[in-house]
Amino acid sequence: MPHADNCFHCGEPIEVGGLFLAKIRGRDERVCCVGCQAAAEWIVSLGLSDYYRLRSLPAERAADVADFSAWDRSQMQRLYVRDVANGCSEAMVLVEGMRCAACSWLIERALRGIAGVRELSINPAAKRLHVTWARDATALSTILARVARLGYTPRPLDAQSLDATALQESRAAMKRLIVAGLGMMQAMMYAVALYAGAFDGMDPATRDFFRWLGLLVTTPVVFYSARPFFLGALRELRARLTGMDTTIALAIALIYAASLFETVRGGAQVYFDSASMFVFLLLGGRYLEMRGRQRATDIVDALARLQPALAQRRQAGGLLETVGVHELETGDVVLVASGDTVPADGALLGERCEVDESLLTGESRERLRRRGDTLIAGSIVRTGPAEIRVAQIGAETILSGILRLITKAQAQRPRAALLSDRIAARFVAGVLTLALLTALGWYAIEPSRAFAAALAVLVVSCPCAFALSVPIAYLRAASSLARMGVLMTRSDALEKLASIDRVVFDKTGTLTENRLELARVETLGGRSVEDCLRIAAALEESSAHPFAAAIRDAARTEQRPTLSASAIQTSAGAGVEGHVDGVGYRIGRGDFAHSLIAGAHEPSLDDDVLLVGEQGPLARLHFRETLRCDAPIAIDKLRAQGMRLGILSGDCGPRVAAVAARLGIPDFHPRLSPAQKLKHLQDLRAAGSVVAMVGDGVNDAPVLAGADVAIALGGGTQLAQAGADIVLASDRLDAIAASRDVALHTLRILRQNLYWAFAYNFICIPLAALGFISPWLAAIGMSASSLLVVLNSLRITPLALPLEQPREAILAAQVLAPT
Amino acid sequence: MNIIFVLIPLSLIFLCAGVWAFFWSVNHSQFDDLDTPALIPLCDDSPPQQNNPVVLDDGRDA
Repeated sequence: MPHADNCFHCGEPIEVGGLFLAKIRGRDERVCCVGCQAAAEWIVSLGLSDYYRLRSLPAERAADVADFSAWDRSQMQRLYVRDVANGCSEAMVLVEGMRCAACSWLIERALRGIAGVRELSINPAAKRLHVTWARDATALSTILARVARLGYTPRPLDAQSLDATALQESRAAMKRLIVAGLGMMQAMMYAVALYAGAFDGMDPATRDFFRWLGLLVTTPVVFYSARPFFLGALRELRARLTGMDTTIALAIALIYAASLFETVRGGAQVYFDSASMFVFLLLGGRYLEMRGRQRATDIVDALARLQPALAQRRQAGGLLETVGVHELETGDVVLVASGDTVPADGALLGERCEVDESLLTGESRERLRRRGDTLIAGSIVRTGPAEIRVAQIGAETILSGILRLITKAQAQRPRAALLSDRIAARFVAGVLTLALLTALGWYAIEPSRAFAAALAVLVVSCPCAFALSVPIAYLRAASSLARMGVLMTRSDALEKLASIDRVVFDKTGTLTENRLELARVETLGGRSVEDCLRIAAALEESSAHPFAAAIRDAARTEQRPTLSASAIQTSAGAGVEGHVDGVGYRIGRGDFAHSLIAGAHEPSLDDDVLLVGEQGPLARLHFRETLRCDAPIAIDKLRAQGMRLGILSGDCGPRVAAVAARLGIPDFHPRLSPAQKLKHLQDLRAAGSVVAMVGDGVNDAPVLAGADVAIALGGGTQLAQAGADIVLASDRLDAIAASRDVALHTLRILRQNLYWAFAYNFICIPLAALGFISPWLAAIGMSASSLLVVLNSLRITPLALPLEQPREAILAAQVLAPT
Repeated sequence: MNIIFVLIPLSLIFLCAGVWAFFWSVNHSQFDDLDTPALIPLCDDSPPQQNNPVVLDDGRDA
């Protein structure tokens, strides 16, 4: 809940001097900015103040409401809107900032009030809003503007996303699961009657009646619910490998066929209950895995967030028009305002501007671009506005190139031949050979017993325990990890995680925060450190530059009254000039600051900021990157586990070296492009290392795709998460070491399960082959061995992380935990 | 004992009806969002607290 010094709406700390009040239920509540004030008062004026009571997480900070009218242009509508019957249109909107059920409640309430909105469906987990409206009554821009006024960022998605495959997949899975569940319950009831009948005596007609009933309820389970397993087995067959799906499909088909055969000929035993239970348990596991995967995001969302949909194009007459990015052509001139994202690669037409390319290159600082330099689509203009002549669009942009690199790296990564798959394949082949040998052997001795003996071998050795042991252990591990704030998007990641011997980190955003801190103030004149800091803070009071934020942070810890500056002038990419107590000062790059005093000159150092007064230079301020608070602990833990550690960064040498030295990582490589990083990783793997890569940015995504285990931070970009095996939803680095412990434990349990299944089969198969085991005993043995495997797997439990769990981790656990 | 020959087919008919109803509700988006509907009854009937004199008419539920 919001603290007294935090914003009532978004929960972020309220900056000194930036206090706004919003009137809510007769009380003045403190909010942090005009946007939040407007959002909060508007929510209350709609009679929706319950939102603040119902929500489980504070809202995203509200941005100033933009103009959405461009979305109503026909060129935009063609791409983002689909016409449906009765004069209605529909669109899919990604709503950034939607965090919990109260958000979706709020949006629904607010949009229902618009005349002409026909249908609404909101999925808070996928952050998606599907809206249908009457074309003559309202427009898409009205709807988007209203969502934006609530404090969210609406981003319409390509109309293709209306054919939501994820939704279809989830609905189909739910239906399969319920059919399997109901079928299992019925089959078990009939089985109980049959077991009771076997002991107390039951006339054959009644017995057969129950068997046919069992067949009736199990048939849809096998042919409808279990279809994914059969399709998977078919895929594996085509690829000429035998994996888990083959084993499972074979087990289901065998039990079902044997039971069918016994029912028809009135044989000794049927196993319909086992078949349907088996399908239900496996489907349950798959369903949870799918929910986890869908929560981790896809590439469509990632692109929508990275690339703006609109651009400001300068017309021939000099006027600006808002157009869709897909309408841009090479040679167009577009204007990008401060804080906006560059829509296409192009050359800068203006004198100079600073751009933030950290998403794309990993470079942590703003880069200065001069006339003619290329600005990359997806980077953010910090000091604008910037005019750009478009050079590359669409698939030719550098961003699209990175995307292609990701897909390629993912395709090239060989799927690890998993321990369980290898064993299962051999086991299936062995059992089938044994059953065949048994049948042949008995056929030679006593043909009438050949079928019964072969069936007993198949049933007693039924790969159920095998097929169950792996998914159940993985399922248990996945839900344990989810409770620790770690989402597994691919189940094979666990086995690979246990085998890694090297962890490679990205620097910016992974080991460090995208924020600077003041490391040291070196005084050059007669003033004290404290004075210099106060003057610097006064000059930088209203600047959005990272240096300025670091200076203000440092000055705030001093318990002295703040100074205020007048006549502040900002020079883009250079620094700030102003007067404090009547004296002129300059703060910024060396050459800019020095030019205040005639004649003085000093080469500029990128990482330092110089404070110069009219009398002479006062101080040099050194900055360093802020380490994430859990980075040192996480690194120590991984080192204690015997991991070799490394840093691959796109940032420049000294900064990478500084961070590596602070964390004690000897192996670091600066100034690498995404392709070079990928190459480096492949070299490491070629040398025999099993490498986990940890990253967060778009530039890390291809590298992540090329690692043995890709770990993305939950707070990082969507694109990185889309390519990752494991997403640290809690955003905590120390979860990596803990996850590895869980993975090792899971593998231990898995081995025990497999040993048990082997031992059991080793004893029972010969007995069955020799005809000592009656089919009903075989059925009991089969169930007991499956049960043991399930119970053993329940021993996998989450590990407690030492610090308090962040709220996001708890939320993730709630979404994923088996219900 | 012969009653089971009536009751069991009857139970199967109910089962089919249940499965049909579930499929219908899945196809009609009843299971797409399992979190939000839980909140709706908490606030549907409570009149908004109108301390703020400006109440936009179009914001009310149609």
